Amino acid sequence: MDQFRHIQTGKTGDIHIVLLKDKKILDDTVLDEIRTELTQLIGKASGPDVLLDFSNVEFMSSAMLGLLGQLHRKISTGHGRLKMCGIRPEILTVFKITNLDKLFSIHKDAATALATFT
Amino acid sequence: MSHAPERGGPARERRPVDVLIAEDSKIQARMLIRRLEEAGHTVRWGENGKLALDLLRERRPDIIVSDIEMPEMTGYEFCKTVKTDATFRTIPFILLSTLSDPIDIIRGLDAGADNYVTKPYEPSYLLGRIDALLATPLEADDQAAATTLEVTLAGQKFRVKAGRQQVLNLLVSTFENAVAKNQELVVANQELSVARDGLQKSNDELSTANAEISRINAHMVRDLKAAAKVQRSLLPADDIAIQGTSIAWRYVPCQSLAGDFLNVFPLDDEHAGLFVVDVSGHGVPSSLMAVTVGRFLTPKVSDQSLLVRQGADGRVAIARPAEVATQLNRLFQADEFSGLYFTLLYGVLHLPSGRFDYCSGGHPALVRLPAGGADVEFHATESFPIAFVPDVEYEQKTLQLAPGDRLFLYSDGVPEAMDRDRNPYGDEAMAACIAARRDGPIDAEVTGLLEAVEQWCQPNGPLDDVSILGLEWRP
Repeated sequence: MDQFRHIQTGKTGDIHIVLLKDKKILDDTVLDEIRTELTQLIGKASGPDVLLDFSNVEFMSSAMLGLLGQLHRKISTGHGRLKMCGIRPEILTVFKITNLDKLFSIHKDAATALATFT
Repeated sequence: MSHAPERGGPARERRPVDVLIAEDSKIQARMLIRRLEEAGHTVRWGENGKLALDLLRERRPDIIVSDIEMPEMTGYEFCKTVKTDATFRTIPFILLSTLSDPIDIIRGLDAGADNYVTKPYEPSYLLGRIDALLATPLEADDQAAATTLEVTLAGQKFRVKAGRQQVLNLLVSTFENAVAKNQELVVANQELSVARDGLQKSNDELSTANAEISRINAHMVRDLKAAAKVQRSLLPADDIAIQGTSIAWRYVPCQSLAGDFLNVFPLDDEHAGLFVVDVSGHGVPSSLMAVTVGRFLTPKVSDQSLLVRQGADGRVAIARPAEVATQLNRLFQADEFSGLYFTLLYGVLHLPSGRFDYCSGGHPALVRLPAGGADVEFHATESFPIAFVPDVEYEQKTLQLAPGDRLFLYSDGVPEAMDRDRNPYGDEAMAACIAARRDGPIDAEVTGLLEAVEQWCQPNGPLDDVSILGLEWRP
């Protein structure tokens, strides 16, 4: 479970639940490490369903959106689904400015998000 | 008393003996007792000279081992008492000394000690001394035949009364002590030598690595300077002036290389183009992408320019802003998505009519300050950033300007600038700042907005690139 530094992973049925551990995702090094860890996790699965939980994240650079874009493509290509939850209003602004709140499937909390994976 | 198996080597057989210890440190006494008992000896222990003397009178031991510094009765006093007593003077007496002053040896000699061992000592070394002393029993008349000698040591004269055998024993023990200390020194020296070689090696490796880092660093600094120079070429010419407009811009990268860039330029006699681009992230990767994007956003007719192209009739054809955004999105989808993307606001102003056609790719709202005194307007477009979502058709919007209207294009470094508590500067503050300076020249307005943002970010300054481009239409 604790093989990753930046993400904590669990599974409900076939859905990967990924909790971002960091409070701040600002510098490029952290971003690259998160990218590597997510790739390691998703790379193993084919057509994975992934729920990304942002509950811990207080500050996030807009470069993180690029990472989410990559993840979104990777998962969609494999006919999986990516959903997000627990995004604070301040961070949701970052999504809204770029309209990416309309591209990504964003939910209030994990329970609500999980219910939409049917 | 437990009798552990004999530990002595085959060469010398160890005879169990009765040992009396005087030692005020309980810990040291216990350690010594354990080692002596393990060697098969019988041990009694007094916490000072006086108590040890009582034990001595109860039963005569074969040998006495005594500390020097003790309360009630010191080791010297205890020793002197033993050695001046005719009944006990033949019992070998070993002094344990933490003291390294040579005068202590003289004091021990004067007290009649037969041997001394300096602390800290190896227990096996002390056991060896005990065996050696017992192997040569003291002659009963040695002290009786003692003579008084005069000794000069460290500039001081001492008168010492000592027997011949006692002096010999002490001489031998002094020599043995010196040999033991010397061996310890040799071992320590060897260890130091090994450590020094290791350090030297690490040092050499560090020096090599350091030189390599310096070399790479110098190389990178040179590259960064070159890249920063290329980036400056993406900005408007210093003397930019377009008939029928007033233009002002400010650009403050948060690192030497920025992800932001902006430009304003004439496209032909009747049209001006202007844009602000904000590539996600900062530093080298973002600035490289900025430079690449910049090549496509040139007003010079070229194979690469998406803004203008040579028409069939030889006239310059100006591309619609939505077409530019859609093309850019297509171009930057070609490779596997690098995780880098950018937002863009590009507009074309028809100078005679004031018609402003623009397109936003996920960029913050276009701001208009109407001439006259009406409120600041935010014209937001719902669209995705460029290079984020494949096959998007970007939407074009039009704004009809009135004479004296001002337009502001900016990067998200303005509304998203954070104060020390991470509160964003925000649209409202920005609108208020712009409205407050509406009666002044546009240059003062742009400068005022930049200063307000920098003020907001005190004491650390902006963490993102800040770009602001203002244009007033004055037909």
